[in-house]
Amino acid sequence: MTNILETFSNGLGISLVVFLPLVSAIFILFIPKTQEFLIKITTLASSVVTFLLSLIVAYQFDYDKAHTFQLGNKLSWIESINSNYEIGIDGISLPLLLLSTFISVLAIIYSFEHLPEPVNPKGMMSLILVLETGMNGTFVALDLILFFVFFELVLLPMYFMIGIWGDRTVRSVAGLKNEIETRLYASIKFFVFTLFGSAFMLLGFLGLYFRGNKTFSIPELIELGTSGAFTGTFATLVFAVLFLGFAVKVPMWPLHTWLPDAHTAAPTVGSVLLAAILLKLGSYGFVRIALPILPEQAKAWAPAIAILSAIGIIYGSLACLAQTDLKRLIAFSSVGHMGFVMLGISSLTSIGINAAMIGMVAHGIITGLLFFISGSMAHTYHTRDMGRLGGNMKLLPKTGALLGFTAMASLGLPGLAGFWGEFMALLGAYNPLSGLNITVFRTSMVAGAIGTVLTAGYLLWMLQRVNLGEPKEEWIGQELHDADNYELAAWIPLVILTVLIGVFPKLIFGSTNDAVINLVTKAFGG
Amino acid sequence: MEAEISINYLAISTELIVIFTIVGTISLDLILSKKSKYFVALFALIGSLISFIPVIFQWANYSKAIVLFEGSYVIDKFSIILKGLFILITYLTFLLSINFIESDSYYEGEYYFLLLSSLLGALVVASSRDLLTIFIGIELASGPMFLLSGWKKGDPKSNEGAIKFFLLGVLSASLILYGFSLLYGVTGKIIFAEIVASLSATGLHQSPVILLSAILILAGIGFKISVVPFHSWAPDTYEGAPLPVTAYLSISSKATGFLALIILFTKVFYESGSSWGVILVLISGATMFIGNLSALQQTNPIRLLAYSSIAQAGFILAPLAVAGITGNYDEGVYASITYLVIYAFMNMGAFLVVNILINASDSENIYEWGGLAKDSPMTGIFSVIFFFSLAGIPPLGGWFAKFVVFRSLLSTGEIFGLALGVVGAINAVIALVYYARISKIIWMDDSPAGERVVTVPNTLKVVGFISLALTILAGIFPGIFSNLGEASAIFFSS
Repeated sequence: MTNILETFSNGLGISLVVFLPLVSAIFILFIPKTQEFLIKITTLASSVVTFLLSLIVAYQFDYDKAHTFQLGNKLSWIESINSNYEIGIDGISLPLLLLSTFISVLAIIYSFEHLPEPVNPKGMMSLILVLETGMNGTFVALDLILFFVFFELVLLPMYFMIGIWGDRTVRSVAGLKNEIETRLYASIKFFVFTLFGSAFMLLGFLGLYFRGNKTFSIPELIELGTSGAFTGTFATLVFAVLFLGFAVKVPMWPLHTWLPDAHTAAPTVGSVLLAAILLKLGSYGFVRIALPILPEQAKAWAPAIAILSAIGIIYGSLACLAQTDLKRLIAFSSVGHMGFVMLGISSLTSIGINAAMIGMVAHGIITGLLFFISGSMAHTYHTRDMGRLGGNMKLLPKTGALLGFTAMASLGLPGLAGFWGEFMALLGAYNPLSGLNITVFRTSMVAGAIGTVLTAGYLLWMLQRVNLGEPKEEWIGQELHDADNYELAAWIPLVILTVLIGVFPKLIFGSTNDAVINLVTKAFGG
Repeated sequence: MEAEISINYLAISTELIVIFTIVGTISLDLILSKKSKYFVALFALIGSLISFIPVIFQWANYSKAIVLFEGSYVIDKFSIILKGLFILITYLTFLLSINFIESDSYYEGEYYFLLLSSLLGALVVASSRDLLTIFIGIELASGPMFLLSGWKKGDPKSNEGAIKFFLLGVLSASLILYGFSLLYGVTGKIIFAEIVASLSATGLHQSPVILLSAILILAGIGFKISVVPFHSWAPDTYEGAPLPVTAYLSISSKATGFLALIILFTKVFYESGSSWGVILVLISGATMFIGNLSALQQTNPIRLLAYSSIAQAGFILAPLAVAGITGNYDEGVYASITYLVIYAFMNMGAFLVVNILINASDSENIYEWGGLAKDSPMTGIFSVIFFFSLAGIPPLGGWFAKFVVFRSLLSTGEIFGLALGVVGAINAVIALVYYARISKIIWMDDSPAGERVVTVPNTLKVVGFISLALTILAGIFPGIFSNLGEASAIFFSS
């Protein structure tokens, strides 16, 4: 037994967490389409095992050395370019890895019964599994090329998820002659935006490779970067392209325009995975790659990032106030919440980056849950128009109660998970790394604070329009299904986590804190 | 010097087997009755498979270059690997052709005879090291294609395409010859090594005459590889030709042209790289943009693939162009060749998908292909793999092809390389739009005609799975291409 555990800590454990879903996806391709139950059970089993494996990984993880890369391995992969299969986790990636494996399980449970047209569980299940491999892989990759491959691996499944199961409403798009189905427009827009960012990101990786001893290894590049190997115009250009690649994914204003479309069009599971995990790939990229490898450039860019984040927060909240579509409202709220994450990162302090880490996890849980609930409601009511909804508490008491709870969590109510990220990000921005422009950061902080008020505003307004009041006439007498067991099984764990992290933020900080402090000390000397 | 005049037959056994198969197919065609013509196809298939054996043997045993015919003909790892590629592509083209050629009243025997002749030309180019041999190789490779592209005799489009191809082909041959004659006139030599020695001895390698020769040759070969501004024939010819021939044209013929270009420009003109390199950079950038922007407009799948392969040619050319400027030929050739090899398989797959879908929908308009993936999920998966690989999305093979190109472009931090890198990145995004469109239509659009029967003959399945395996393998374990790096290094040391 100890032997098995030992090999586990030699990279096998993490590798299984990454590749088990992919292998299961290939396996599922060979199960006939008619065996729906078998397909679903296999998928669920695979994702549960993956989750359990990730728990073992978390158990084996040495939290006293959270700042080092652990449980990993380095195997030769593409010798000719000195790119290796180098994996490992530290305190920063561990919570995100767990989040990813966990949300995947819930997404699969939800998909048991709730797939939109054209149903096809075989297709959806295998896509979720491929997606999971991409997400998990990104969080454990310690080689830029490996990171790039996983980072891009999520594109295809998400593209097809949105495109096949997405919203079939026909809409007109500025610049296009003919009207187009929302799903088709949103899926290609998502793909093109992200590819645009990552194509340039790859050029940046190559730049680092050629200036940095021809290595793609992230730990080695961090050593080089923190000792000041990358400077001048070169480093500015590289940071610019990395910024482009990651900021599109986050997404930061003004590169966010794909997000509301993608979220609105995506099927519920797609929205959940997109919000909960995919957006984190971008912010994780900043923390893992851009900051430690190019610290000087990070300092130079930090005020700009802070300003863009502040704009994102205000813009996201104002856009939310203007929405009539429930899902689109939640999508825009993501722009605001990820603005807080980026504001935390831009402060370049341990408080700020810790805030970003807990903010990412909290946003993953809370917004994931919001998308679950709104998706389910859209399914029940056949509309997402908040003008037509109302009295949800009376019509669907369980769903309504959960929506109320989640909205509270999302607006940053103390005691729930969303609070820490926002509060600490503002704290970080109040007192950024010494040498950064205080005025810019304090202004951003004020903007962020106004943003929290606006956030509370639109969420409460949303609750008032959707949850409270008397049901509209069109719903009275109709048979509306409240949350069923599959839905509750997918949602309740998220509710529990929201409370747990809200009360014991140490669940996250215990893992991230040392790693973040180490990052900040090494890269920025503070 | 040894007085040995005997020929190393083992070294040229690949070519000999192909010659034997060529003679065999045309003789069989004479003997066999019309009903049993498929034996010709079988013979050609087997012949091309057998010719692969010496390739494997040579790869395993020839660690050094074998030089034949007083330096005119060289068999090294570089040429061996490309010969392997040419044979494999021809083999896959045969498989693609069998049903196609049988389905209509085409001439069968001659078809295989001509394809094999073209293969022989390609094999010769891979090993040639003098002006005459390489010219014969280039023309032997493209001559049969003039005939094959007009194989659909009753179809005016096919005739038009073939005539265009033929006229421009003759023009390009004469341009290449003109360039060669200048080289010969200046140096009096035909073997590359001797030409280079003579040029450096006289200090003429930067002279206007040599540069003019390079430009003429570039223009001539530019037609073969259909780069801007010599690309206009390609969409028409591709559209008119039988589909397997189009696949062959866009893969093998293009690869032959590139190979000739690489050999000539890195073996003969390498000292004037700073001059032609800039021209190639411009051509490469323009080819990517024009190819991709034109492909965006296409509704005909074959024209779409034609423009896509023009754009891809821009990517293949880019490393060579920058290598000319930086003098870092090793890196550049490795990147170009790696791209070429991966491109060969994913493009073969793309043609296969188009072939199946045209038959299934009976339409050459991609917008009428809606919902076909539901009728044939296998074809649907094929289309995802091959088209997104062409777009360069990991973990499919195309990403590594694009990656090595970007890597060689940025390797020296040279400004032209950076500029082409940015152009390449932008073009990768543009290309995604039309590559994704095919998948979008067949997976996401509704079927306009109800359920359709999609039949995929076994021969096509074989083509599909071979291409699929290689495309995915290339993406997940790109390490297998390290041999190409080694091969390029040997190419330069010999």
